[in-house]
Amino acid sequence: MSREVVTSGKQIGEDQVGLGIIAAMAALALAAVLARKQKYRRLAQSSGTVTAARRLNRAAGTLAFSVLFDSAIEHYRGSFHNKAMYTPLVVSSLALAVSAHGVNDERSEMHRLRDAIYVAAAVIGAIGTGFHIYNVAKGPGGINWQSVFYGAPLGAPAAIALSGLLGAAAERIRDSDPHRPRVFGLPAGRLAAAIASLGLLGTTGEASLLHFRGAFHNPFMFLPVTLPPVSAALLAETALGKQHRSRWFTRWWLRLTTAMGFVGVCFHAYGVHRNMGGWRNWRQNVLNGPPLPAPPSFAGLALAGLAALTLVEDRPDA
Amino acid sequence: MRDGEARENRRPSDDPMRRPRAIHGRAPDVFRLGAWVPMRQFGEDEEVDFAIVGTGAGGGTLACKLAEAGFSVVAFDAGPYWRPLEDFASDETAQSKLYWTDERIVDGENPLQLGSNNSGKSVGGSTVHFAMVSLRFRPEWFKSRTLLGYGADWPLDWREMWTYYEEVEQALKIAGPITYPWGPKRPRYPYRAHELNAAAKVLARGAEALGISWTETPLATISAPRGASPPCVYRGFCTLGCSTNAKQSVLITWLPRALHAGAEIRDLAMVGQIETNGADRVTGVHYHRDCEWHFQRAKNVVVAGYAIETPRLLLMSATSRFPDGLANSSGLVGKNLMVQGNQAVWGIMDDEIRSYKGPPSLAITEHWNYEDKGKDFHGGYAYMSQGPLPVLWARTLAGSRGLWGEALLNEMQRYNHSVGLKVVSEYMPQERNRVTLTDEKDQYGLPIPRVTYSWCDNDKRMNRHALAFMRRALEAAGAREIWDQEDDTCHLNGTARMGFDPRTSVVDGDCRSWDIPNLWICDGSVFPTVGGVNPSLTIQAIACRTADRIKALAARGDLEVRSKDRQLV
Ligand SMILES: Cc1cc2nc3c(=O)[nH]c(=O)nc-3n(C[C@H](O)[C@H](O)[C@H](O)COP(=O)(O)OP(=O)(O)OC[C@H]3O[C@@H](n4cnc5c(N)ncnc54)[C@H](O)[C@@H]3O)c2cc1C
Ligand code: SF4
Repeated sequence: MSREVVTSGKQIGEDQVGLGIIAAMAALALAAVLARKQKYRRLAQSSGTVTAARRLNRAAGTLAFSVLFDSAIEHYRGSFHNKAMYTPLVVSSLALAVSAHGVNDERSEMHRLRDAIYVAAAVIGAIGTGFHIYNVAKGPGGINWQSVFYGAPLGAPAAIALSGLLGAAAERIRDSDPHRPRVFGLPAGRLAAAIASLGLLGTTGEASLLHFRGAFHNPFMFLPVTLPPVSAALLAETALGKQHRSRWFTRWWLRLTTAMGFVGVCFHAYGVHRNMGGWRNWRQNVLNGPPLPAPPSFAGLALAGLAALTLVEDRPDA
Repeated sequence: MRDGEARENRRPSDDPMRRPRAIHGRAPDVFRLGAWVPMRQFGEDEEVDFAIVGTGAGGGTLACKLAEAGFSVVAFDAGPYWRPLEDFASDETAQSKLYWTDERIVDGENPLQLGSNNSGKSVGGSTVHFAMVSLRFRPEWFKSRTLLGYGADWPLDWREMWTYYEEVEQALKIAGPITYPWGPKRPRYPYRAHELNAAAKVLARGAEALGISWTETPLATISAPRGASPPCVYRGFCTLGCSTNAKQSVLITWLPRALHAGAEIRDLAMVGQIETNGADRVTGVHYHRDCEWHFQRAKNVVVAGYAIETPRLLLMSATSRFPDGLANSSGLVGKNLMVQGNQAVWGIMDDEIRSYKGPPSLAITEHWNYEDKGKDFHGGYAYMSQGPLPVLWARTLAGSRGLWGEALLNEMQRYNHSVGLKVVSEYMPQERNRVTLTDEKDQYGLPIPRVTYSWCDNDKRMNRHALAFMRRALEAAGAREIWDQEDDTCHLNGTARMGFDPRTSVVDGDCRSWDIPNLWICDGSVFPTVGGVNPSLTIQAIACRTADRIKALAARGDLEVRSKDRQLV
């Protein structure tokens, strides 16, 4: 007697509890690994702004990675019916490439091409957001729940803009005075913290909308709408608050948010399995199911937050 | 393709239309290939608390609720126990196996087309192939005689029904809009509305152009995973049986719960007679299964065979003490049959529509259910977007539009551009619309029912209003070459109406027969009026209420006798 489940398991069965525990352990392990590396780098280059810039490159790259795969899947699903739908693929690929280059670049000066691509990504992301707003508003009844649930997501092009913005900031940090890093005339650390904070808020908005669309049918769906807003608040405090030596709580919370962003991929993989045919029918369900590349955008922003935090903690005036 | 082959190989060799599946202490596990769930079984000599005839929206829901309340329950269905993942083909013709196509004779001025669009013969009833539209009544309809001046009042209070609607919406995880534009505030639907397909957007555009409200239709198919049900895959086979289990039919919602709570379900079991004793109480049911007639003893019998089979069974169970059939002292059993208007307007859009993608009725307007001004008729109607599959579409073009040969072929070429709006409207109860028995016999040797139906003038005025209004809406949305489909009807209600008085109704508000206190009727038959919305949510809400009432009556010791009778004794 075969007891194969064609569709999925129980809503909150043992498998899910198990998954939750594994996910939590993986998150902690990841956070611990991140913490170790962090300490090591801090000791090695405690006085340089290059580290901070490279971390921001890494954050920008993580975001670009998320956008690249997300838009590839979504726009493939939309059959690239509008030529402009190739744009995010090109832009996020370039942003990903220059971010990788930036992470490996230890020079303390801005790289012109990298910077140009980052700035372009920021501008094109902003234009894309406009396109998506237009797409959402043009359906029958204008902007309503139906169109925000199922129209073009506003968060996706905004994420590429954020990636560009963080990258551009990274380039400017390399160029500025290591003791008083400035970006666009503002304290670099605080500015990066503010960008990351706003980005986290926006991404939370996107996750809330889509998880609400999914009726929060799985309790784990509450995680990305509860952890990141706390990160955003902590980063806002970092950006605007007084100078402390150590914000250990903020740091741990950001690490947790980073880990959540990566572990979220596993949850979304489980979500794909719960569609008709599960992973055996991956060609359809990867398109239908929860987007696999979306959660890491939280990680990208939390990593940017960590970079900003180090800057602020190390340099009273950053 | 590999998946398809694998599933094919694992297809069970049994034929659910010939051999019962719910036997040997187990019933099919509808969620798993070839698997079973344990099922409690009762002996025929064991006097069960409830024998329920029919496992559809009324009977299936009640079986679940009664079993969960601790009563012993055996639920009979003449239809097969399907395994949706294995038995349902993507083939319109093959899936006609879900319909009740036993012989029936139709007459009257507007004879009904019975079968696909009216009733099912399956464990789970008509909900196995219903279109999942899950709407609440307008509150005033429960008092339509007093408040709106037509039909009859219901012995139910809309506020109480509101709580039972909520229970059913939760049980089925209805996917509906965030705010519903009409009627009193309702709680949020458990799941979010589905994405609109192009046909639904046409309805929306027409409504916007005419300045009336529209919304996403609340549907009994899920928009996110639920337990072992995957979310809807938008393939549009809903009215032929959903092979993914996204559709929250009675078969995959209430019945698994009923089995879990200890109910027995007997598939391929056609009840032919309800037995009564000298004390004018029912004692059990005679049923046909495995080529034989059997008798199951029961303390109570619930009839839930839908609005043709329910009166038929009551009439077939006549005895010398009840010569006109059971529960029929009012003479109303079989009378006041109400279908609903299901006319449509169809047209052509320049853009590709592919209306068959997704559940058929993703958008709706109930404007004319809630607007009383500007009408030359009583009652109301809703209209919805449509998505006929190819065979049905060809049949509609041939039957209702008279196309044939090359003309039909050419029109079918434009299938992807066709779009339509279809009404669900409130016809009036009329005693002349009725179910009676004929002398002819069916495959079980039981008398074949005659179904007589005619529109009254009010019905005709409503038809005209709806067709004209939908035409304007379709035009406003940009369709051309618009034509009217004037002949279709859907749903079956009435024939054993509930009411306040034994002289003018068959059952009371608890769905209990006025004449025989341990005989109950719990399905679409009890509707005194039919309203302008699809009936299944209301049927299920009534079943939930009936279960609560039975619990309360049992707790008071009033199940055996009516309290009034007891005072007399
Ligand atoms: C194509 C179609 C689409 C529909 N779409 C919608 C919709 O979108 N929304 C909505 O609200 N409603 C819809 N309906 C209507 C809805 O399905 C019915 O109103 C509802 O299922 C009726 O419930 P019921 O319990 O009265 O009868 P049913 O659900 O029909 O159940 C009756 C059961 O009793 C069994 N039975 C009958 N007589 C006997 C007997 N003597 N012995 C044993 N078993 C017997 C039958 O086999 C059947 O399974 C649709 C119906 C159809 C056919
Ligand atoms: S469209 Fe959805 S509800 Fe309809 S048959 Fe397909 S999966 Fe089932």
